[in-house]
Amino acid sequence: MNVSFTFLRPFARFLVPFTLQRKTNGVYSTILQRYMSSKIPPVPCPNKESTSPPEQLELDGWKITMKSSVQEEGASTASDSKDEDPVAATRELIEMWRLLGREVPEHISEEDLKTIMESPSKSSKRKYLKYLYIKEKMKKARQIKKEMKAAAKEEAKTDRTTEENKQRDFLFLRLWDRNIDSAMGWKGAQAMQFGQPLVFDMVYENYMKPKELQNAVCQLLESEGCNRRNVDPFHIYLCNLKTDGDYYRELVKRYRERWDKLLLTATEKSHVDLFPKEDIIYLTADSPNVMTTFKHDKIYIIGSFVDKSMQPGASLANAKRLKLATECLPLDKYLQWETGTKNLTLDQMMRILLCVKNTGSWEEALKFVPRRKHTGYLEISQYSQEFLNQLKKPKTFNPFPKGSLNVCTKKR
Amino acid sequence: MTFCLSGFRSFSKLWKNNPYLGLVPGYSPHSLFLVDSYGIWNRQRWFSLKTVSPQNTKALNLLKAKTRYHRKGDEGSNKQVSSDSPHLFAAGAARKRAEMNPQSKEPVSSPVRDTIQLPTRPLNSEEWDKLKEDFKGKGNFENWISSQITYSRSSIDVAKSLLAWVAAKNNGIVSYDLLVKYLYLCVFHKQKSEIIDVYEIMKVRYKILEPAGYSLLIRGLIHTDRWREALLLLEDFEKVMIPSKRNYDDCIQGALLHQDVNTAWNLYQKLLGHDLIPMLETLEAFFDFGKDIKDHQYANKLLDILLYLRNNQLYPGESFAHSIKAWFESVPGEQWKGQFTTIRKSGRCSGCGKTMESIYLSPEEYEFLKENIMRNVIDGGDQYKKTTPEELKRFQNFVNNDCPPFDIVIDGLNVAKMFPKARESQVLLNVVSQLAKQNLRLLVLGRKHMLNQHPRWRKDEMEKVQKQASCFFADDISEDDPYLLYATLHSGNHCKFITKDLMRDHKACLPDAKTQRLFFKWQQGHQLAIINRFPGSKISFQHILSYDTVVQTTGDSWHIPYDEDLVERYSYEVPNKWLCLHRKT
Repeated sequence: MNVSFTFLRPFARFLVPFTLQRKTNGVYSTILQRYMSSKIPPVPCPNKESTSPPEQLELDGWKITMKSSVQEEGASTASDSKDEDPVAATRELIEMWRLLGREVPEHISEEDLKTIMESPSKSSKRKYLKYLYIKEKMKKARQIKKEMKAAAKEEAKTDRTTEENKQRDFLFLRLWDRNIDSAMGWKGAQAMQFGQPLVFDMVYENYMKPKELQNAVCQLLESEGCNRRNVDPFHIYLCNLKTDGDYYRELVKRYRERWDKLLLTATEKSHVDLFPKEDIIYLTADSPNVMTTFKHDKIYIIGSFVDKSMQPGASLANAKRLKLATECLPLDKYLQWETGTKNLTLDQMMRILLCVKNTGSWEEALKFVPRRKHTGYLEISQYSQEFLNQLKKPKTFNPFPKGSLNVCTKKR
Repeated sequence: MTFCLSGFRSFSKLWKNNPYLGLVPGYSPHSLFLVDSYGIWNRQRWFSLKTVSPQNTKALNLLKAKTRYHRKGDEGSNKQVSSDSPHLFAAGAARKRAEMNPQSKEPVSSPVRDTIQLPTRPLNSEEWDKLKEDFKGKGNFENWISSQITYSRSSIDVAKSLLAWVAAKNNGIVSYDLLVKYLYLCVFHKQKSEIIDVYEIMKVRYKILEPAGYSLLIRGLIHTDRWREALLLLEDFEKVMIPSKRNYDDCIQGALLHQDVNTAWNLYQKLLGHDLIPMLETLEAFFDFGKDIKDHQYANKLLDILLYLRNNQLYPGESFAHSIKAWFESVPGEQWKGQFTTIRKSGRCSGCGKTMESIYLSPEEYEFLKENIMRNVIDGGDQYKKTTPEELKRFQNFVNNDCPPFDIVIDGLNVAKMFPKARESQVLLNVVSQLAKQNLRLLVLGRKHMLNQHPRWRKDEMEKVQKQASCFFADDISEDDPYLLYATLHSGNHCKFITKDLMRDHKACLPDAKTQRLFFKWQQGHQLAIINRFPGSKISFQHILSYDTVVQTTGDSWHIPYDEDLVERYSYEVPNKWLCLHRKT
């Protein structure tokens, strides 16, 4: 570095633009020339020279280059900045945000851009951009991982070819996945014939926003998958599934051609039409009744509803309307609840129900409740003790001062 | 005691508002800038008013602790609920209630991360290089250090030297985020020429900016001679996004600063057109400016602002109230006289003796509210959510046919659970029989489980309750509050209801802000809250406000409620200080 860079040098005054970038001297001297001769509006540079102390001048050096290096770009951008296209402007805005280090995606499709422009408020725009940003980041990370894996595989392959040439004796061909699939298919067919019904109530289509609906479909797929893998699967019913509805469209989109080969019953009919009303139990976290045991002769209904917009009591209202029995999981009885709602996701519900059906033990089944929501299991004895205490308390404790009441309390 | 209390309140607020102490600890260096960028001028205003040094706050804390201790002792000695306890809806009441049963401690301030010593003078390149080597944190050194410099509001020379260093390394290019942070510093230090420089750079470099850049430029430019360009920037901004009310505030303040009244009013109209609620500072600026203008039209516009405050139930702050007063008193030939007062319980102004507007709704408003409660709170599109149609029918029959209008509707469960240690049915019976003695027609709303034999709900006591009052028991899974609201509204204007519930969730079910305000007004006039602290004592109620707390006029007088600077008011509370203006005749 050149000595003349130091700020407190009193005689650096006249050298500044030159000395500052001595290494790129060629470029900047031309810029400087242009700066001197061009028609850039006179910036308060001259008066600064007269007022500010000499070391300040060097501090302002960057401004000159910032302003003048523009000239080349300015001509090209000036033309298209005139047509005020809101789409382009939004794109530009997002780019500026990115420069500022905000959480916005680097690349953005026309469709997403349209969604952003249509979103009603600033915060919804920001949220959607953040969502895209995270999506993009994940995609990138996956891409990198994939490449690394491919490289590793390539390496392994070259290693293997050297050693794996001799014949060996095997009992089976490597067709495990296919075998597992067909075994699960057999079991599923069996469940279709003799399995206990488990209903997903698809009536909540209109309560949900597109994103919630997508989440719900993901959870449905997940729960169908773990039901399929179970020893003794349920016979799944998707009731109230309208063939022209969003749910149907989304499900078909996700399952593609497998949709017609799924071993479950999808119907437009309601669950009250398919089963006797007195056998139905609607599972909802709002229910006042707690499920004590899993009954193998009942039909349990799960509302396939992801609720992010606070509509409490929607499923309870539905059950009330059809006059169905309701139950909720005995979460408070077994778990020391900490945070989060008691509404569990569909796949968690499915796992819990499968587990409690097969083993009958709630401790085992409630392992599928996310660990972050509770601090641990309650001792059953402790629970009943507390319950007893609650019953006892009011009898023994009367805080009313005797004379203060105008009611006769002795009557009992 | 009251002195103590008010002192206590104000201290805690002071302490909270102190910009440095309140904000410094918990901030992460990267986010600070964006979060903070909006608050600059405000903070500066603050600074010019009062400065609290750290030592001072320590003393205040001590004082605070003392007063709390003091108050506790006081309470212990005269076990009486003081009659001057704040009204349920009075400003500051919620804060006070929270302090009465302190549960959570004050937030522990996280320790300030000890990092590199920030430079206090401009550094040269070697020094910056060295500093960079010392930096061990995550991420980009330039970003980090510029955030730190911005955050600690260093002198702009330091920032400039940083930019010069970055530019030297980077072919003379300084990235946008560094530029914005530098701009922030310039705006903070009010360096007009620097702001214009950065403005020039941004103008040629980028054809469009983002909100933070626009906001800072607008805020910086309005103080310069080139303030009209701030308006152009605002227009550019409008193309991509709706600017914030603060952007408009800046522009309006700039226009007023340069005596361009028409532009200011046009901007104000635009602001209202975007459905933004103007900042009180904006309105205050209009009043401040009005003092020098003797123009009839301008005066009318200011009166329009006051009506806007009335219609939207906004309350001016203390300084705004002073501006309003000063403006009125400056109107030539009208001889306004203003004073700061309170309103007596009777609804008369202690200043001029005029009666305030009644809290009661007009018949049309009343019908409208009743209709809305029925449709949105009880029904809500799905009757099964809160009740069932059968039950609703039963209730409507009960209210319409079975009985005459009630005087008081009691939320049985809320009243019964008032004292956690006393038996529910006993508390309820106590309240009901005390009220029944005054020959009031009572309705007790509850749930069916109250009738079941249970140690806490004794049958004999419930029977007595039923003898002295009409009762309606809803299903255990139905909500009883909507019924309470409807029964009270149905009985007429004289009917009150007893509950401590603030009914915010039901208010939230109402469709728009106007209806919610109507509900709140009705609630203030009809809700009785029991303020007993001990079971068994004679019940006493919070007095009901007889007047409406809203900006109001009778032509030759104005009454304007305002917020005191040092009182924290919750959204469901109303101010209790007033500005009384009347014309001398």
